[in-house]
Amino acid sequence: MSESAPTAAETRRLAEEARDRVRFEEQALELSDQVYRVARRLANSREEAEDLVQDTYARAFRSWQQFQPGTNLRAWLLRILTNLNIDRGRRVQRTPEQTPLEEGDYYLYNRLESTMPDENPDEERVLERLSQNAVVEALAEVPHDFRDVLVLVDIGEFSYAEAAQILDIPVGTVMSRLHRGRRILKQQLAERTVTN
Amino acid sequence: MGCGCSDCEEMMQPYLDRVLSDEQMREAKEHLEACPPCEKRYRFEDTLRRYVRVAVEEPISAELQQKLVGLRSTG
Repeated sequence: MSESAPTAAETRRLAEEARDRVRFEEQALELSDQVYRVARRLANSREEAEDLVQDTYARAFRSWQQFQPGTNLRAWLLRILTNLNIDRGRRVQRTPEQTPLEEGDYYLYNRLESTMPDENPDEERVLERLSQNAVVEALAEVPHDFRDVLVLVDIGEFSYAEAAQILDIPVGTVMSRLHRGRRILKQQLAERTVTN
Repeated sequence: MGCGCSDCEEMMQPYLDRVLSDEQMREAKEHLEACPPCEKRYRFEDTLRRYVRVAVEEPISAELQQKLVGLRSTG
């Protein structure tokens, strides 16, 4: 024991900080399934997603003091994650600068309905023309800029404002990318329609 | 295809996202009530969004969760 023992105030401050840190880590860990859900669809593979989530938590636990209590922790974690994803240059575009095909918003429905024998089928029945696999594959085909927004808003259920903050882009850009991203997704789904 | 009204197709996403003005929202609602084919396509879109969310769900592995716990500064 050193002669200069910490003062009572100092001890209290350290104890408080330790408690805050524990609380922060617990709260962050409680969100890990939600963070992974988004990461899995931003990344191209399960391995990539797992690496990203690990690196995100490592960084978050290191820089926990930068988080402002009372703000959205899930959004804060996803911001770290999307930055890491971009930094690593893992966002290999298959066809850079090329915008994929995109049809109107009714296109997928019309296409699906046309494969069905019955007149005016129920929309739930129409949806059965899309397999789970088709959805996973179709989403993976959406280019990153559009997919990031689509995944954050439609899968992560973040608001436009939160998505804008996470990706550091204007809200208007979030809206236009989302709108087009959904159309690209539907175009991709239409190509994977179950036809028999 | 339904009413043949391409405006409805354009309005679908903003309508479902509730970003239309009150006036536009009212107009869209009126139209949908009178046009079952459009209404059905709107309902389909809504169901599709939920379906996509569920279809791509892949739970986090217990191993990864353990690794994350191991990254904690505290025990």
